[in-house]
Amino acid sequence: MENLHFQRPAHTGVKRRALVGYVGSGDLEVMIEPCTTAQADIHILTSSPSSETRWRQVLERIEAVQPFPAMRMDIHDFAATPGVIRLRIEQALELALQDQEVSHG
Amino acid sequence: MAEPVATGWQPANFIELSARERVAALLDPGSFTELLDPFARLTSPWLPKQGIVTQFDDGVVIGKGRLNGQPAVVAAIEGAFQGGSLGEVAGAKIAGALELAIEDNRQGIPTCAVLVLETGGVRLQEANLGLAAIAEIHAAVVELRQYQPVIGIITGPVGCFGGMGIAAGLCSYLLMTREGRLGLNGPQVIEQEAGVAEYDSRDRPFIWSLTGGEQRVASTLVDAFVSDDADAVRAATLRLLQQGLPASHRTDRADSMLAALQQLDTDTQISALQARTLLAFALQQPAASAPQPEAGHLHWGSSRGEQWSQALIAATDWRCAAVPSVCYADGELGGRACRFILIRPDASNHFPRARQGEVGLLEGWALASLIEETQRADAELPVKRALIAIVDVPSQAYGRREEALGIHQALAAAAAAYAGARLAGHPLLSLLVGKAMSGAFLAHGYQANRIFALDDSKVLIHAMGKASAARVTLRSEAELDELAASIPPMAYDVHSFASLGLIEGLIPVQHADDPDKADIERVRQALTQALQQLPADDRHLQCRLQGEHRGASRQVRQCLRQSWQPESH
Repeated sequence: MENLHFQRPAHTGVKRRALVGYVGSGDLEVMIEPCTTAQADIHILTSSPSSETRWRQVLERIEAVQPFPAMRMDIHDFAATPGVIRLRIEQALELALQDQEVSHG
Repeated sequence: MAEPVATGWQPANFIELSARERVAALLDPGSFTELLDPFARLTSPWLPKQGIVTQFDDGVVIGKGRLNGQPAVVAAIEGAFQGGSLGEVAGAKIAGALELAIEDNRQGIPTCAVLVLETGGVRLQEANLGLAAIAEIHAAVVELRQYQPVIGIITGPVGCFGGMGIAAGLCSYLLMTREGRLGLNGPQVIEQEAGVAEYDSRDRPFIWSLTGGEQRVASTLVDAFVSDDADAVRAATLRLLQQGLPASHRTDRADSMLAALQQLDTDTQISALQARTLLAFALQQPAASAPQPEAGHLHWGSSRGEQWSQALIAATDWRCAAVPSVCYADGELGGRACRFILIRPDASNHFPRARQGEVGLLEGWALASLIEETQRADAELPVKRALIAIVDVPSQAYGRREEALGIHQALAAAAAAYAGARLAGHPLLSLLVGKAMSGAFLAHGYQANRIFALDDSKVLIHAMGKASAARVTLRSEAELDELAASIPPMAYDVHSFASLGLIEGLIPVQHADDPDKADIERVRQALTQALQQLPADDRHLQCRLQGEHRGASRQVRQCLRQSWQPESH
């Protein structure tokens, strides 16, 4: 298990908190909460050892399309592939940036 | 309130839904409030110490809301996280929610409960704290079902096993899909313990033919069959809720089950059809007469449990209950009338896989029958007999017959009888003199108001034998020992167990295998004192929550209480 921490300067913040995914085999959960500082604060707990470079690259790829908003993001990863990681992070960001809270069901 | 996990696309299949989506699909639209949601970040304190990634909700979602307008709490287990296993936090969320539903009912608020069971039982990385939480879930289900229905739903893909299989057996009503499975022991563990000829864990059609939804419904171990469709599952749940409390529970069938099991030919292996026929007959026959126990004196063996039983009560005062492996004796402690209860090895047990002192089908139902008889006999007495469980049980029985004939239900009957007697005012003590393992301990001893143990290295408490635990967690036995040294709930020894706050007292003895007069006196004194000090209105298990290593169990309950919205009736 490895604890990783990435920080990025950011301007506009997320509008709401969000959670997607779960810690099942090959999957991950991504939680986003608003924060008061002007940065994206990303905490990753992963079951894959020595994966810092890979995570950095995944985050850079997402950033290249859409800069991260100011937020605290927590990731619990259970050996997800880069494709799944990217999908989950984008899902979480989409929810966190929505104006309206989506109701259950 | 948690934001939804869904991202627009909503499958109609219930099995495909996450635990959170399942809760939302069950409750009346718009009524779902999540308690202790993932943003509370109350995760397992034990997994990170073992290098295992946590989940923010620890794999359990608690939803408060309404079912057909009635106040309800739904607890759903996320099968994808750690196999739906229950550790300290996950277990406390379910137990704590049920306890609050009981409090509602005491105050006249008719809160009912639904459990969405997707679980292999105890999370072995938190072994003894998972087992303790499951005993507390059992206690809560037995109490809540006196007021309002508790409905269990088993849809798959994980199924429902271990201590939570017992919890399913306690529910007022059960719903299953074809894909669901219900049993006590997981197929891998049975194969490990009993061999591949007894139970081939890779033979899926065989396993489903014995434990799958279709078989369990036909056996009447489950009330209704439901298709894997979210709307259908909700509709079936509401239909069961509308029936109100059942006239009696499946756990009340001890006498007819005992009669049927004793007549079964156990020389040949059982078929699915045979199991179905036996269960469908016996479970629908609440009025069968109790089988007569064998007359005459007991033949004693040399097990720890037998040594201590004869030490505490004269050998000639002991009697067999419905089967020779379950014995009892009436006696006293400090003037208080007590009934002592023992499960012991019986080399000629009618069920071959329960000959080493395991708690099997007969033992579970015989315990239930004995305790129910005690409760009936004392019903009018102002001071009821105390029940003293002498615990030396190596495990539950592992075998094909056991699973096919619903050993989870037999153990549920025993747990229900003990919990019911406790709630009716019988003080309930356990004395651990040897092994207190897993499902066997849940059925015999874990429902006690107070647990005592000999301070001795052969007293072992755990959720699973070491060899099987190693296989299931993909570790070596040496690795398990190493982890147990720093993680108290994973240890087998009685001192680690005591540090969890689950034991009232460790009793020092000199000769645990062959007790002398001083040893016996110390044990009698400890038990006598416990009975004298037990308040008459202490009928619950709350005293176990004070241990130094149970901080999360307390915190979960506190948080749930803070967010529990009392509903106006």
